[in-house]
Amino acid sequence: MNELISTLKEEIIEVLNLEGMTPDGIDDNAPLFNGGDPSVAGLGLDSIDALELIVLMERNYGIKLKNASEGKEIFKSVATMADYISKNRTK
Amino acid sequence: MKAYVKAFVSISDKEVKLNGDNLPIQVEEGKPWLTNIYYSLGFQYPKFFKMDNLCKAGFLGAELLMGKLGLTPEEPKRNWSVALMSRSGSLDDDQTYQQTIQSADNYFPSPAVFVYTLSNIVTGEIAIRHKIMGESTCYVTKSFEPKTAIALSECAFLPEKEVDHQIFGWCDYLDGQLSVKMFALSLDSEGALREWETSIFTI
Repeated sequence: MNELISTLKEEIIEVLNLEGMTPDGIDDNAPLFNGGDPSVAGLGLDSIDALELIVLMERNYGIKLKNASEGKEIFKSVATMADYISKNRTK
Repeated sequence: MKAYVKAFVSISDKEVKLNGDNLPIQVEEGKPWLTNIYYSLGFQYPKFFKMDNLCKAGFLGAELLMGKLGLTPEEPKRNWSVALMSRSGSLDDDQTYQQTIQSADNYFPSPAVFVYTLSNIVTGEIAIRHKIMGESTCYVTKSFEPKTAIALSECAFLPEKEVDHQIFGWCDYLDGQLSVKMFALSLDSEGALREWETSIFTI
């Protein structure tokens, strides 16, 4: 799981153009989205980033999200994403 | 209607000039030119790195103009508008997006690229960044022709639009070719560099 989390962090940094951020700088359990509230720690991603993460999961892991409401739980943090990917990946 | 130039900026593939003065740009090997400009001038706006090249170019021009006028991005600008002319518009990003849908075997349309496939996103990004409340427009034209440019900028100053300042100019990026000429215009002559008229297009 640790290897997947590490790979996922690198992929997220690349596809979301998180300039200046390193995998080590991303907490496994920190929220990916803060709902526009800068006082909430985490990456502060937005709705376009969420769509890009969906594409990332499909392209790199063969996972196609069927139910959009699942996304809220899956994309809570890098750790929850990695957990979902490990259980559902087809490649 | 007489308008005045309060500041002007030009950005090419090789240099950045503000009010005619060359700005030193630290070139770091491997980094894109627009990114080198961003770091060299000390800007801080993480969204810059998500933008397409046209928006990056327009963003840099606007940052320089507003900074020169001493205006902060946080300050709402109700009587400001932003309008740019461009030959290529969003074509550079359109091509990038095309690559994400080119192959049926590798068909993964990128939402982050798609959102920049409209020419007027560049003026929208500037308006958001600087809280510009007036008109936001991008005209796709063959060239930065002075008479057309002045006529278009005068449209933004029509009394019913309640605008007395504007960012106006040319912003073009395609396949690594960059051309930016942007002006901060005002109906107020105080502190102006010169009148807004056709001769300024040669500077």
